[in-house]
Amino acid sequence: MSRNREIFLFIVVVIAFILQLSVMPQFKLLGVQPDLILVVAIVVAVQDGPVEGAIIGFLGGMLQDIASPQVMGVSALSKALAAFLAGVLKDFFMTYSILLPVLLVFMLSFFELLLHQGVLVVLGQEQLPPVRAGALFAISLYNVIAVLVIYPLLRRFRFPEKEESFTLAGGNRRA
Amino acid sequence: MPAAPRTSRNRIILIVIIIICVAVVTLYVRESDTGPLHSIQNFFLDLISPIGRAFEKIFRPIKDGVVNVFHLPSLSKQRADLQKEVDQLRRKKIEARELEAENQELKQLLKWSETQAQLETVGADIAGQSPDNWQRMMIINKGSSSGIKKYMAVVTEEGLVGRVISVGSRSSVVQLITDSRSGIGVRDQSSRETGIMDGQNEEILRFEPMKEDAEVKVGDIMETSGLGGTCPPGIVIGTVSNLRKRSSGLTRLVEVKPFVTFSKLDQVLVIITPEPESVILKEAQ
Repeated sequence: MSRNREIFLFIVVVIAFILQLSVMPQFKLLGVQPDLILVVAIVVAVQDGPVEGAIIGFLGGMLQDIASPQVMGVSALSKALAAFLAGVLKDFFMTYSILLPVLLVFMLSFFELLLHQGVLVVLGQEQLPPVRAGALFAISLYNVIAVLVIYPLLRRFRFPEKEESFTLAGGNRRA
Repeated sequence: MPAAPRTSRNRIILIVIIIICVAVVTLYVRESDTGPLHSIQNFFLDLISPIGRAFEKIFRPIKDGVVNVFHLPSLSKQRADLQKEVDQLRRKKIEARELEAENQELKQLLKWSETQAQLETVGADIAGQSPDNWQRMMIINKGSSSGIKKYMAVVTEEGLVGRVISVGSRSSVVQLITDSRSGIGVRDQSSRETGIMDGQNEEILRFEPMKEDAEVKVGDIMETSGLGGTCPPGIVIGTVSNLRKRSSGLTRLVEVKPFVTFSKLDQVLVIITPEPESVILKEAQ
């Protein structure tokens, strides 16, 4: 990943965090809001690789943990693992269309939410059942809507060095 | 690029991230409320509180506009319903006048008015809401510098909003009664049956009566009982909206609709006197 892309992604995760904190709570539907930081982390994992996604998930999750009165480190852990998994899973799909991140975001939103709440249950911070199926579904759908905007946006800012590495990474498949 | 070193590097980075997260979680859970990680959280809450308030003000008109557009089709029906309600209220107003005199006597008898006069409150603006989906919390722009302490009750003129769970110097975090970790000691205003009001991360609360055969009816008003040492008694919470059997069929499920519209909250009052019993006990230790 180029230095420019790194700086760009760092700015993106900070912006996502600010939007998550300030704008998203104003636009709750059915009592839930999209998780922009998770969506950004998964998109980065798809476009740049699992570790890059995990780092973005970790940074964004830690910012979210610091800025909310919850057990610090839980969001960072769940988002980092979800993004890493996205980066690993993307290689099993033979497509680079927007369907890939849509599918991954939908699946991994479930994973991240269950992991997050599961850790809180283990720590005694949450009671069973920690989450309703309806809420899980609503958040995952909301995240899918968010990825339709975020994925093309982040794709537009692929810097020259990134283009090369992306082609190399995809080269095996095309060969 | 050779694949093996990259895979090994990926693994190492992932393991480092997991170790850092687990270490932070462990430290956070084990430290006290005044520990370094909690202090960092409180510092950031103080920092983001004004930003949150600014965004709340900017987006409130847009949000209200969007909500109104969605509600347009139901407005005419609502208007007819409201007209009916106005007629009913007019009739009730006449009845209420007769009851007022009797009520005054009863209030004096119970010294209710004296208790209310003892409540000292601090007004605060809503500065932000929980950034995730699993907590029903709000950040207010007043903290320990205004006399706010942990576990103090937060109200509006409509009823109970929640309680303070974290205090910074210029901001505090309020756990709403709808939060799934919230449990408030309550009683039925008419039957005086007591129990616990649990949040469910939804707009509806769940009342768990102390007795299985508790006398609870739809429409009953629920208020704080004062048990539990957080909220003073007599603060209204909501009305019983539904009674149904649990899936097990053994016990009843009592659903309560809160009076407070949490999505439209702008300002709240924090009850600083009398102090919650839990605070007094903690300070005495």
